[in-house]
Amino acid sequence: MAVTGYLAEFSLAELFKFLEQGNKVGLLTICVLADADSKDQKNYYVWFNQGRIVAAGNTLDQQGLLRLISQRGWLGDRAASRLAQSCIISTPMGLCLKSQNVLNAEQLKLLFYAQVMQQVCALFTLKDGWFQFDAKVPLPTAEMTGLNAPATEVTLAGLRALKDWSALADKLPEPTSALVSSISGKPQQRLNQSEWQIWEFVNGAVSLNAIAKQLQLTTEKVQQIAFRLIVSGVVEEMPLVADVPQTTISAASMEPIASQSGAMGQGGATNVSHSFLQNLVGFLRGKA
Amino acid sequence: MEIMRLVVTGPVGAGKSTFIRSVSEIEVVDTDRQATDETLLLKKRTTVAFDFGRLQFGPDMALHLYGTPGQSRFDFMWDILIHKAHAYILLVAAHRPGEFRYARRILTFMNQRSSVPMIIGLTHVDHPNAWEPANVGVALGYPNPFECPPIINVNATEAASVAQAIIKLIEHSTCECLV
Repeated sequence: MAVTGYLAEFSLAELFKFLEQGNKVGLLTICVLADADSKDQKNYYVWFNQGRIVAAGNTLDQQGLLRLISQRGWLGDRAASRLAQSCIISTPMGLCLKSQNVLNAEQLKLLFYAQVMQQVCALFTLKDGWFQFDAKVPLPTAEMTGLNAPATEVTLAGLRALKDWSALADKLPEPTSALVSSISGKPQQRLNQSEWQIWEFVNGAVSLNAIAKQLQLTTEKVQQIAFRLIVSGVVEEMPLVADVPQTTISAASMEPIASQSGAMGQGGATNVSHSFLQNLVGFLRGKA
Repeated sequence: MEIMRLVVTGPVGAGKSTFIRSVSEIEVVDTDRQATDETLLLKKRTTVAFDFGRLQFGPDMALHLYGTPGQSRFDFMWDILIHKAHAYILLVAAHRPGEFRYARRILTFMNQRSSVPMIIGLTHVDHPNAWEPANVGVALGYPNPFECPPIINVNATEAASVAQAIIKLIEHSTCECLV
């Protein structure tokens, strides 16, 4: 059973949170159709190690990193290939080239930024795409700089830069919901000012609508910021109970239950006895 | 009359109404109405208040099953039902990751309101796109398997499978000092 689905249902931000929290190791493939009428598809690949992004690209030819180096004029194609062959298979290519004094630490950072931060952040603009995570794929040392980033850190960067949120509209927390913290203490992530402002209201009591009013922001903006905090793993959405509406359901359909059994009577649940549970389990075993 | 109340909750289409119908000895009292929104894509009718089923297994002993509505605009029912519950089962369709977000929302709500024992029941596990139980656990906010409530596979259409799920919930409940 694979981890598979569509980004329109389970967004990339939610997927990254899942992969980070699950400390996943493997390859995430995202397959996007160019347009509805075309059969052309474009694939994107993101490699994970212990829930952290270690490499990304749009081919599986193990040449992506060398192409980035070559494009910058830091090393010719032939020279890079020759040096790469001398690298130990288990060592990331970037670290290997650094150990040979071909690249320095700053160049590795620039490569990682171009390969992972820029390419992966651009994926957040995808409206849809089929995804699959394969945990059996070994790490692609030839594509790795040796640097890595937590998946949710990349998510934060990608969502902060996102202009068109239409694809995420049905995934945002409800305006009537509140937020509760899912961590102890303060977030370790580097939050921006607006995220810290929303964090101040993480008490399970104030709706996003009310937060928007207090901060004089649009509700939509607050929903987007709250979504960023949710997919960063620092808060959870908690529905606030609305007033019970005037029901249009026939009261006769429910009243007999309550009156005959007392099932929904006054007071909370009282404990049930050991003999009750033993009898119930025995009864159910006869049905199972 | 000694009564145990179990709440069956979960997103739309997870199999809550079917779960209760499969095991109830009475005609399930439902409040299903014609679906009118995006729910219509999943099924024609949906629960708008709650489902009620009953199992009487002695002259003065009965199990009551309450199914919550799956749609968020009926959130107020969750509060009413969980307040009286002895335990609950969260049903999640393993092949619909798009519903995990909503299941997580239900979990957060229930955990804030009540500390009664719970288990997670996965339905549609035979679907080719079904996620593994451990992965569903992570997606629902339980990255540490030792802190995750029991996750079991359930076929909501089969009485035997539903009975097994309830047994598991009761066994888990006794561990959590229900009595």
